[in-house]
Amino acid sequence: MTTQHKTKSSSWKNKFREKLIDIIGSEGVIFSEDELLAYDCDALTSYRIKPIFVVLPNTAEQVSQVIKECYHENIPFVPRGAGTGLSGGALPTEEGIVISLSRMNKIIDIDIPNQRVVVEPGVVNIWVTNAVSSAGYYYAPDPSSQIVCTIGGNVAENSGGVHCLKYGVTTNHVLGVEMVLPDGELIEVGGKALDSPGYDITGLVVGSEGLLGIVTKVTLKIIKKPEAVKTLFASFDHVEDAGASVSGITARGVIPAGMEIMDSFCIKSVEETVGAGYPIDAGAILLVELDGPTAEVEAQMPIVEEVLKENKATGIKIAKDAKERDLFWKGRKSAFPAMGRISSDYYVQDGVIPRSKLAEVLGEIAELSKKYGLRVANVFHAGDGNLHPLVLYDSSKEGDLDKTLELAGEILKVCVDKGGSITGEHGVGHDKKRFLSLMFDESDLDAMNLIRCAFDNKGLCNPGKLFPTPRTCVEPGMKPYHEHPVQKSGMGEMY
Amino acid sequence: MLKKSIIKNLQNIVGEKDTYLKKESLNSFNIDGVIPEIALFPNNVEQVSEIMKLASKESLSTIPMGSGTKLALGNKPEKADIVISTKNLNRIVEHAASDLVATTESGVSLKNFQAELNKENQFLALDPPHAERGATIGGVIATNDSGPERLRYGTVREFLIGLKIVQADGSIFKGGSKVVKNVAGYDMPKLYVGSLGTLGIIVESTFRLYPVPEYSETFLVSFPSLEKCHDVVMSLLSSDLVLTSLEILNPELSNSLARSNNLDLEDNKYSLLVGVRSVKKAVKEQMSKVKTICNQSGGKGDIIVGAQEEELWEDVRNFPWKIVNPEKIILKAGVLVTDIPKVLGNIDELSEKSGVKTYVSTRAGSGVSIIAMEGEDSSIVNMVKSLRAFISEQRGHLVIQEAPSAIKSEIDVWGDIGSGRVIMKKIKSNFDPDNLLNPGRYI
Repeated sequence: MTTQHKTKSSSWKNKFREKLIDIIGSEGVIFSEDELLAYDCDALTSYRIKPIFVVLPNTAEQVSQVIKECYHENIPFVPRGAGTGLSGGALPTEEGIVISLSRMNKIIDIDIPNQRVVVEPGVVNIWVTNAVSSAGYYYAPDPSSQIVCTIGGNVAENSGGVHCLKYGVTTNHVLGVEMVLPDGELIEVGGKALDSPGYDITGLVVGSEGLLGIVTKVTLKIIKKPEAVKTLFASFDHVEDAGASVSGITARGVIPAGMEIMDSFCIKSVEETVGAGYPIDAGAILLVELDGPTAEVEAQMPIVEEVLKENKATGIKIAKDAKERDLFWKGRKSAFPAMGRISSDYYVQDGVIPRSKLAEVLGEIAELSKKYGLRVANVFHAGDGNLHPLVLYDSSKEGDLDKTLELAGEILKVCVDKGGSITGEHGVGHDKKRFLSLMFDESDLDAMNLIRCAFDNKGLCNPGKLFPTPRTCVEPGMKPYHEHPVQKSGMGEMY
Repeated sequence: MLKKSIIKNLQNIVGEKDTYLKKESLNSFNIDGVIPEIALFPNNVEQVSEIMKLASKESLSTIPMGSGTKLALGNKPEKADIVISTKNLNRIVEHAASDLVATTESGVSLKNFQAELNKENQFLALDPPHAERGATIGGVIATNDSGPERLRYGTVREFLIGLKIVQADGSIFKGGSKVVKNVAGYDMPKLYVGSLGTLGIIVESTFRLYPVPEYSETFLVSFPSLEKCHDVVMSLLSSDLVLTSLEILNPELSNSLARSNNLDLEDNKYSLLVGVRSVKKAVKEQMSKVKTICNQSGGKGDIIVGAQEEELWEDVRNFPWKIVNPEKIILKAGVLVTDIPKVLGNIDELSEKSGVKTYVSTRAGSGVSIIAMEGEDSSIVNMVKSLRAFISEQRGHLVIQEAPSAIKSEIDVWGDIGSGRVIMKKIKSNFDPDNLLNPGRYI
């Protein structure tokens, strides 16, 4: 299958570059070796591939023209937002180009009465909230990278955040998109008004990891800030008790805006870094945020406290004002970067389990950690069962990374065995494609491939991602193509 | 006419008891004059798969359905050899209460599903019409049906986290998962919401659930004018109140419900229903704010609770089938919230001009209106065309939900699907290359 994209000659490259410059202008095409290096990976830096060119279009029309050229010349292309993705979704393709949407960063329409904002894909997540905050509104999905990551990237990955237990993830807040299909055609689906007729293409495109085309405009729903917000954290001796509290709270009919757990590793490193006020000797802390009408929050707070005490919380601290609340959250949001204090390298996983299995799974992760002799720090969106185990390793140690990847894979297997998922918000991308078959059998993947082929029959749009094994497209009515075992083993290729 | 041998083979799959062959019994599956030759009620997923394998081998046009409450949706079928009802797929597979998740076969009625979930004080946050008439889970998904409480909870796409599908060629696949947060692979469940059985037969689905709120109240209030009513809507929506539902009733519907439910409402006024569900104290506090806002704009009304509240909402959800005569046309319009007065005003104007009696219930927080019309076919056709043109100008949509065949033959029920049609067609032809599933009715 690798023969598909043969190395192009330099004269071909020069000609292709001229075409791209004709479309975008010379300031929008990057081709110097040094500058290209900035695009050879996303936030998952262990995989790197240098693209042949990077283009920075300014308009949907330019995106469409670039893709038409790629389609005509059979050149693979990879869309890229801010490059904060953690699954290698924006990893370039050999002999392919990168289409960076960073220059398409205008907020097109702010419609407060209808609670809609229309943006270009390069708009940074937090800009949306900033634009509507004075009117009392915000954009709910809040991934930890929200001060850098873009809406286009959020759409591709169906990003979550710390408040999705109650408010949902990106897909619940995107009402429509304008996009360029992989053959260059520009379409628009959904929009500001609800219940448009036709299939929910918007729903399909959100979370498709840049494999179905390039989104050039996004219609978002904004929501009203709640009347009251209360945040607390409880400390526990054992992380399992924190886990049990989580399903205890929802079982009592309370859906908090967010519930986050950090284990002792995280607490220590976070305290040393930002000083969020977490008790440094605790085995775990659970952060709970309630929001809504004042009377509702006041009625639910005692229920939450009761559940925490039932589950052996050793201390409960309620934020006394917005400043302290921000501090509690700052601790949580700096959990990843703070890991640098206790380990030179870390590898983050993104598995999901049913809430009720939290305590059980945490125990199994601890055992795996012992078995592999690698420390695992746990920080997670406990409310929706989305784990972020951080495997701590030392890249200078021979074999440490391989062992880390193996351990991380074992953790994902545990998640799927418990009825969960291999990824809750980071995406499959390049990194986790080999694990997708844990969740989906061949016929499930064939159905997904029917979607990919409807959009991208040439397989040019972000190829090599998501699917565990290469799949080609066939004419409607024919069975999807499967690699012959001889090909799979590398003993032969098909021509 | 189907060959006898094919009929025999189909019958053998599900058994004689679960096959309808007689003309009298098949007449109830009449869709715009197209009547299938056989109706099958498979008892498990494998049987659905066997039927589709045979159907695809013999190129049989197939109409999938649940209990048939929404068969009128869609254009006239090009052809209908067989009907497959999922009604016998009626097992609730799992209710994982501590995870707020449940999995069910698609023939389970929404009513039975809710009853099961209610045992653990949870519910599926969907309140579409027809629940009392046996609407199935699969049918609700396939038609993307919803109700007034979508304001608070959203629509099917927000809760459907996993499903199992029998495809046109009989193969079975699953999409999504059983956890509330999952981005592994494409979000296949979204594709089937509102797909009207054109991409495969939904046989099983998994939903996220909510705890049943402790207490509920509804404020029913009428206003001197549409403008005043809409001003209140905008004030409520921009406040920090968390409303469960917010419904504008046009004067025709308001009068009719006042009569049928013994409500103390002024005649010929626009009315507003404001529902709040939460802990009791929060409901009371919010309701007093709602009342203040309404009163300031000249609204007069009462709080309704308990059985009377439940009945009223049931009637609002089902009004087109309860109070309008059988030869009716039912439509759904989606517009921006700020365009609601323009659209209601236009409906009023057109109704008067064409002599069509029009009942409207508008989900004011979502901009979605359910419209029922009574009148002469020709007047209705003209009015729907004018209304659709007006709504298109506001970048909204108008879809016919139900209409006599004579009207459907004059107007496409879906209207303009837009530039996305090209990709929808490709998806349809990849999933159903021989166009067997609901041919002609939708995409």
